[in-house]
Amino acid sequence: MNAKIELPRIAKGKKPIYLDDRSIDNLMAMIMTLTQEISVLRDRLDTIEHLLAEKKTISLEDIDTFEPSDDLVKQRKERRQLLLKRVLLPIEKDLEK
Amino acid sequence: MTSKQKHSMQPQPNHDESVRQDFVTDLRAFLTDEIYPKITPYYEKNVEPEFIKERNRKPKDKSEVRDLMLKDKSYQSWSLLQRLSQQMMFTAVIDTVERTLDDLIERSKQHNSLGTLELDNEVEIPKYLTAYDIHQQPGGYHTEKIEDDIAPGVVYDISLPIYSRNSMGDENDLLSQAIIGHMQKYIKLPEPERMLDIGCAIGNSTLPFAKIFPNAEIHGIDVASPCLRYAHARANALGVTAHFSQQNAEQTNFENETFDLITSCLLLHETSHDAIPKIINEAYRLLKPGGWMMHLDVYPFHREAIEPLYDFLKDWEIINNNENFSGALRNMNLQQIFEDAGFIKDTIEFTSAEADGQYTKGYTGDFYLKLPIYLAQKPNIP
Repeated sequence: MNAKIELPRIAKGKKPIYLDDRSIDNLMAMIMTLTQEISVLRDRLDTIEHLLAEKKTISLEDIDTFEPSDDLVKQRKERRQLLLKRVLLPIEKDLEK
Repeated sequence: MTSKQKHSMQPQPNHDESVRQDFVTDLRAFLTDEIYPKITPYYEKNVEPEFIKERNRKPKDKSEVRDLMLKDKSYQSWSLLQRLSQQMMFTAVIDTVERTLDDLIERSKQHNSLGTLELDNEVEIPKYLTAYDIHQQPGGYHTEKIEDDIAPGVVYDISLPIYSRNSMGDENDLLSQAIIGHMQKYIKLPEPERMLDIGCAIGNSTLPFAKIFPNAEIHGIDVASPCLRYAHARANALGVTAHFSQQNAEQTNFENETFDLITSCLLLHETSHDAIPKIINEAYRLLKPGGWMMHLDVYPFHREAIEPLYDFLKDWEIINNNENFSGALRNMNLQQIFEDAGFIKDTIEFTSAEADGQYTKGYTGDFYLKLPIYLAQKPNIP
């Protein structure tokens, strides 16, 4: 057993600036990560709700091994698209000018 | 195994890792299907008219379009999001690989009964792979952090379905299926005795050849040892016999006239000006008389003028996803390089192979359904 390994997290290469300056680009990155975490929490809650509909108590393992049905996968996809649509609405609207 | 594991060498993501990866898949779908199609009409309505007002003509090429678009906040917002989605993909995948790596390495040691693996730590990683991390995969494909490391290979294998929105197939072999389709349709190639896939990475484009040529000896080479270790374990997980060795395609240890067929998938655009003629000359040396080489790549060689905006958008990966050599490759005279190597002039072709992809619209579809393929045959005189 090896000590906990840390893999590289940042890619080497040019880092272009997209918007006004690096800080705005960073803000966008932070907002997208937060949006992702909202989606993760929502899916976790969803998993727990589905498990609890079947039985009274659940374990962490139940959550990690939960396999959503095709219907649920579809529902989650639609919910994420809606979340993205709301979060990215200003950008979408700008491109519809 | 969960539905995310396609074979026994892939890790099992925990709940949150799994849905975090799903979010990235859906973000990429949203950017591709909802946002990307709005760019062309936006440009035609807003960006181009401003230019025409000032200059009394349309932008003449992609560099003029680039000057306009890089200043445009609406376009740049999409571009930034697209770039971020790639970074988020790797972060989400690396979480799982980092957590499960010890177990995966142990498992890889049980996956070795089929085929062979030969590593050579004398092989130098070319500068074109160390100067920057292609596709923004942190650490690239060659970096080893631990003994018997396979992490970059695992990361690549499980990020491909997210990158491609599940359109690469369960075994990530859409691209080599395109080569095989093209080969079966247009080339009369008897079943090879031996074939070689250069720059094979995790062997996802190597193994399909073992299936259609069950009696052939299938070889894959790459410079990245962690990918090759994973390629060998992965081939075993899929029950396919193939031989992987750590070699640079510019100069290999194989003897003259060893192979009937040499292929590459998305290799050439990751190399360099100097490397291209060396790779082609080496392929010529390794082919038997009458043998074929087939290279599948991303960038077509345009003969005719194309729409400057489309030309600019097609370069997105170069500027924004560390594909630094792709643009230069498009300007190289490959026809001449193939001829100079000795390939039969009439057999040299720069055409496209059809991939049987699921997604036809937007960014991903544009790029990955009609894949440029470059082929040539070595003269049949010994």
